[in-house]
Amino acid sequence: MANLVAENLSYSYLAEGQVALDKVSVEIIAGTMTALVGPNGAGKSTLLSLLKGHHKPDKGEITIDGNPLRNSRSQVALMPQRGRLNWNFPITVEGLVSLGRVKYAKSTCCELEAALQRVGISALAKRRLDSLSGGQQQRALLAKTLMTPAKIFLLDEPCAALDPPAREDFLLLMRQLADAGASVFISSHDWGTSLNAYDKVVALDKTVLASGTPEVVKEKLDSISCMHGNYCCG
Amino acid sequence: METIAVVDFYQTFATWWLIPFCVILFTGVLCPAMGTVLITHKRLLQVNLISHCVLPGLALAIALGAPPSIGGVISGLLGAIAAEGLTNKKNENYEAIMNTILAGSLGLGVLLVPLLGIRIDLESVLFGDLLTANFGDLLRTLISSLAFIGLMFFAYPKLVHIGLDPEGAVESGIKVPFLNLALGLTTALVIVSSMSAIGVILVIALLSAPALIGLQKAPSLWVAMARSSILGLIVSLLGFLLAIVFNMSPGPLVAVLCILLIGILPSKRKN
Repeated sequence: MANLVAENLSYSYLAEGQVALDKVSVEIIAGTMTALVGPNGAGKSTLLSLLKGHHKPDKGEITIDGNPLRNSRSQVALMPQRGRLNWNFPITVEGLVSLGRVKYAKSTCCELEAALQRVGISALAKRRLDSLSGGQQQRALLAKTLMTPAKIFLLDEPCAALDPPAREDFLLLMRQLADAGASVFISSHDWGTSLNAYDKVVALDKTVLASGTPEVVKEKLDSISCMHGNYCCG
Repeated sequence: METIAVVDFYQTFATWWLIPFCVILFTGVLCPAMGTVLITHKRLLQVNLISHCVLPGLALAIALGAPPSIGGVISGLLGAIAAEGLTNKKNENYEAIMNTILAGSLGLGVLLVPLLGIRIDLESVLFGDLLTANFGDLLRTLISSLAFIGLMFFAYPKLVHIGLDPEGAVESGIKVPFLNLALGLTTALVIVSSMSAIGVILVIALLSAPALIGLQKAPSLWVAMARSSILGLIVSLLGFLLAIVFNMSPGPLVAVLCILLIGILPSKRKN
């Protein structure tokens, strides 16, 4: 069980001279599933990257159970956006999942099998990645993420490009992970009905616009015109 | 006794076809294996740049009295570094700049030959001259084979990770620029060592075509490399035999056979 707290995070991209995040505070509690919603360019991926420790915030602090993130980075795992991967690479599902092991230590077959079983794709272990459906590929990527010893899972738009049934299946899987004690933080474009699947929602557009239960956030968002229509993909 | 053995060895290798045969054998296996890694890393354009950058180094090395292959590897490596710099900066004109540099490098090489007053058989450098391959060519091929095997032995899982998810590899703490440089150096070695067999310009065909077939449905990178190497070996030996039978140049023949090989490639829609 691990809780992650980020306070007043600010971050700018030097090259573009743009403020990506401004005084963002979030709390990710163990055993819960939190959604991070916002339009394109809202800073969702940047925030996840800061929470994983890939970049250092210009201002603010990130702690895990009261300890600075730099001392507990192994407790956080980030599942990247699917577009980042070369899905045509010659590798099987089990090959991809094995890469999730820290420093390429030899993974035992039990660890590998457990990760595959957890996401329900044991039968696909020997299949090549490019022969899988989008939903199966996402599950394989999640299994790779589960190979790490992390307790806090950050997922960058895992439901993008999934059809509604596959999206529901995936969120169910996430719920099981949270019920097992993990802290799950999922970024999404979708702030439609699927937000109800989460315990908590954080709406972001460079700064936190709203935070709380799905109902509370939806109410708040209704009063913020910039989040309507044009950006909404849900 | 030892003298007799050395003489026997020399006489065996003095058989005119044996060294060219060994050179094409190693080149036919090595180039497609290297090409498989490069295709999966989406680095074929960089390879083209390296191969075009070899010529100025060769010319300068000959003018300075240094071994030409070392000059070729150094200028090829400089090309690899330039390519790496362009890739890292994510320049939007990347392809256009890269193509200009590769054409310019070849032009520079061609200009250096008369300017430095040296003699280089440009045709054999660019398109290969396998039937005149000597022991030095064989040695270079063996050295580049060892370099490639070493790279695979020490960095295979990391290269798989980089090919699959380059950003993720950086985030995992893999020294991606260093490994890309090692890949560039090995590529430069492979290209220079293939010079006598197929030439620095035509080598791109042997790096690409067998690898494209070998990658089809391969469950892992090493299986793809093995399949590509077998195909490359068949094409190279066929080219070598046809060249002898029809008294033609083996390098261009192998390149043409590579086109035929692409003909059997199943069409695949881009995801």
